[in-house]
Amino acid sequence: MSEQTRPQLVYIIDDDEAVRDSIGMLLDSADLAYCSFAGADEFLADYDGSQRGCLVLDIRMPGMTGLELQNRLAEIGSSLPIIFITGHGDVPMAVEAMRNGAFDFLRKPVDESSFIDRIHTALDQESGDWRQRLDRDQNRERIESLTEREREVFRLVAEGLANKVIASDLGISERTVEVHRSQVMKKLDARTLAQLVRIHLQDE
Amino acid sequence: MTDSPRPLTAKTASGGDYDRLETLLKNLPGMAYRCLNLTHWPMDFVSDGCFELCGYRRQEIESQLVLWGDFTHPEMIDYVDRKVRSATDKGQPFEVEYRIIARNGEEKWVWERGRVVDHRSDGVAILEGFITDITDRKLAEAALMRAEAYAQAIVDSAVDAVITVDSQGSIESFNQAASAMFGYRADEVRGQHCRSLTATSFYREFDRFFQRNRVPADDVIRSVELNGCDKRDREFPILLSMREIVDIEEKKYVILIRDLTEQRHAEKEVREQRDMLAHVDRLNTLGEMAAGIAHEINQPLTAISMYAQSSLRFLQHRPPRLERLEDALEKLSQQAHRAGAVIERMQEMTRPHQSHHESVDAGRLLREIHGLAEVEAQIRNFVIVLRLDESLPTVKCDPIQIQQVILNLLRNGMESMRANRCKPGSKIVLQARNLGDRLRISIIDSGLGVSHKLEKQLYQPFMSTKESGMGLGLSISRSIIAAHGGQLEFSNNKGVGATFYFKLSIVQ
Repeated sequence: MSEQTRPQLVYIIDDDEAVRDSIGMLLDSADLAYCSFAGADEFLADYDGSQRGCLVLDIRMPGMTGLELQNRLAEIGSSLPIIFITGHGDVPMAVEAMRNGAFDFLRKPVDESSFIDRIHTALDQESGDWRQRLDRDQNRERIESLTEREREVFRLVAEGLANKVIASDLGISERTVEVHRSQVMKKLDARTLAQLVRIHLQDE
Repeated sequence: MTDSPRPLTAKTASGGDYDRLETLLKNLPGMAYRCLNLTHWPMDFVSDGCFELCGYRRQEIESQLVLWGDFTHPEMIDYVDRKVRSATDKGQPFEVEYRIIARNGEEKWVWERGRVVDHRSDGVAILEGFITDITDRKLAEAALMRAEAYAQAIVDSAVDAVITVDSQGSIESFNQAASAMFGYRADEVRGQHCRSLTATSFYREFDRFFQRNRVPADDVIRSVELNGCDKRDREFPILLSMREIVDIEEKKYVILIRDLTEQRHAEKEVREQRDMLAHVDRLNTLGEMAAGIAHEINQPLTAISMYAQSSLRFLQHRPPRLERLEDALEKLSQQAHRAGAVIERMQEMTRPHQSHHESVDAGRLLREIHGLAEVEAQIRNFVIVLRLDESLPTVKCDPIQIQQVILNLLRNGMESMRANRCKPGSKIVLQARNLGDRLRISIIDSGLGVSHKLEKQLYQPFMSTKESGMGLGLSISRSIIAAHGGQLEFSNNKGVGATFYFKLSIVQ
């Protein structure tokens, strides 16, 4: 599950072959890698949580609709941004899609340049999310490596308490607090108090 | 009255003859008399019947205390006098019917017949005759006349032409409605053959009908639709029925003719209205399908703009990626045609058109409607399965109307399936089977089926189980199939749902 093994892809999910093919060609012309699916079920069958990139999703499809797929992905914890492609009469559905956290929705026929722009933005966002998630995972691992006492000191330091107060709270000497604190900084790879606070906030 | 005539008995009979004559006269239902042809006819002999006739005894009359003229109804005395004189002046017997007033005031009709038998020396004629009561007959006659007038009034007020003809078909009577319908007065057509009331081109058919019904096999009144022809040679549709008039020695027939012009007119109007409704329904259908059609057009448009943009990018690439360009442009063109086809189909749906039957490739017809209906099925998450024989024949039909019927039946089926909470992906089958001379087209759904209650009102216009339905679908569909010489039928499936089916003629 590293950035190197999963490149970002644009997942096109549309039941109309021509629409699917033409979107693919446009992405190809913009040097974007993509992968096409004829339906939500096909995509879900292939999905394992490691996918990177974004979805271009037809809102109206036979079988599982685009909206249903969005809900399903949210349930299983996917954070892939979804760009919905909607038809003429689908405004209420589009509104619901946005409410459920869709990245954007574009009306058919789609304005190609803004389409490409939106794809790029979505991919950037996903990169950021992914990195953040990676950081969080890393932080969590590091926090888990702290001892019980170190974790208590970490929490109180991050909340802004002075060493003296922490020592009195925990009933230990100020000197001992200082030892724990430097141990925490080392284990969490933090050089400043500000970094420590940020790690704490990310974890909450 | 000094010179009274001798009594009849004294002059003409004697002994046993007299007795016999007396008995004979007594038994007569009336009164024999002899009198002078003078004012009020003084009688010197009357028979005993006088008492029953006028309430006076023989002696009272013969003594001439009352005269016969006193009984005669004052309104009629001159009439009777005229009748008697005009006959006797010519030396002929007279016969007259008139009213008398009896002693008790009762009015009676009498019939009298008499003649001059002799003359008195002064030339006054001596009359002998017989008078009898005919009141009963007169009352019966009056009743009969009233009944006839009544019957005639009914016949005359009838809307239909009522004509009686003899066994050869010659017209005997012609009511007022007949005169109004055909423009002839009754006396103009009496004696003519009733055939002449029909258009010449229908003579043969009329003759056949007349011959067949002259000797009816049963009591059923048969009728025939023909063209009538009036005095001014105007032709118009008529319904003609004929029946023997029973209980008359000579065979006669009564012919009833109804003018169908109005009815035909109304029928035509209904037909036009139905065509208009069919058009409205097509437009409605279009409204219902608007989302589907927008979707159908948007798909190729989306693809077209994507391919176009791709082509542009391939061209702008340094160096240009010409190898991709050809593919992109070809696909773009295909999608433009696809959009065009959708619009063409839509136009066909909205065009009001004359129903015209043509030879149509059934396979193509069904695949086309399948393509159109599939969009709707997708929206409802159902699947339309096309189950066709390998090679389908050419059928005679109006393709647009038949497609409308099939679309309507598919839509109904899917509605019913939705009401039956069928799972997404459930199938509705459009099936065609070659039966040799006809092609049976069936729509098999897995919906609620047709309940016994629903069955009765199934084809009624404006009857709908759907909240949004106008309830015209099935009734119009049925009319369309009927116009194709078929019948829209249905049956409930063994398992679930119903099957609607109809047959189209195969062009051999």
